Amino acid sequence: MPAHTLPRVLEVALAAPGGRCYRHCERPVRTRRLRSPLPGTWQVRACPAGVVSVVVYTEWVRRDLSQDVLHLLRGHTVPRSLVHARDLRLATRHGPELGTAAERFLARARPRRGIRVVYWRVYPFQGKDGAERRLFVCLRTRHPTPVFFAAPSSATAGDCPSCAAVRRSTPRRARKRR
Amino acid sequence: MARRSGPARPRQLSIVLAQWCPHCVPLSVRNGRRLARRLGVPLRLLDIDRRGENAEADRLVRKFGDASPDYLIPQVFLEWSDGRVDPLLTGFSEQVSRTARAWRDLLASDWLRAVRAGARP
Repeated sequence: MPAHTLPRVLEVALAAPGGRCYRHCERPVRTRRLRSPLPGTWQVRACPAGVVSVVVYTEWVRRDLSQDVLHLLRGHTVPRSLVHARDLRLATRHGPELGTAAERFLARARPRRGIRVVYWRVYPFQGKDGAERRLFVCLRTRHPTPVFFAAPSSATAGDCPSCAAVRRSTPRRARKRR
Repeated sequence: MARRSGPARPRQLSIVLAQWCPHCVPLSVRNGRRLARRLGVPLRLLDIDRRGENAEADRLVRKFGDASPDYLIPQVFLEWSDGRVDPLLTGFSEQVSRTARAWRDLLASDWLRAVRAGARP
């Protein structure tokens, strides 16, 4: 197991199950684990329509991960300018706040280090037209990585700009006439 | 000034918070009081929106806590008699119940038992 990978005992201790899509649809939020070129764990919490509550990147290191996460997220977001440093919030998780099993595990681990977590949370904002925009994620496999984008609250993950670009570039097959 | 001798002891518990934050009020104030009582130290609340408190809140977070341009709250610190400051808990960015679980774990931790027994983990 790579040195930065979270052992199961820490993953369990950090889990945050439950929750609802706040001020959007109030439906349960699901946590989806995403592939990441970074060594840590990357999760997105979103409602069935694709509205993102929070994106969480976790790594078992000492350093500040914010810059790595900023670059990673910009590579997955349309437009890239949607990712601001001010929307990334850092937390260090220590043993005592994580329950007995994780506390004892971390107390034995050498070198001693906390768990670094970076949260990306984009609060609803007004677009140029004055309408409210929210952060969405499209997890469809038409594109190799998840795509984050902003759209009106009434949108769905299906309004993903990358999927639309694929649709535009793929010629429609002519309908068969009977 | 006379130099203090003996092992360092907990001196003060500080919580950086905001009144509008549901992870802070009442959850962290209530649990902070509980923790301070068990440690036998006073509790200091530092409101990031209150002039006179926000500078000290920023100092603690930037120097000892989890600093970001718009940092997470609450952040809880234990100050020791020898000047050391330990970050204890940072609020979770998920639902309030997750921060509540972190408080429960902290209050039931080996760390708290050790500090109450006079150790300095």
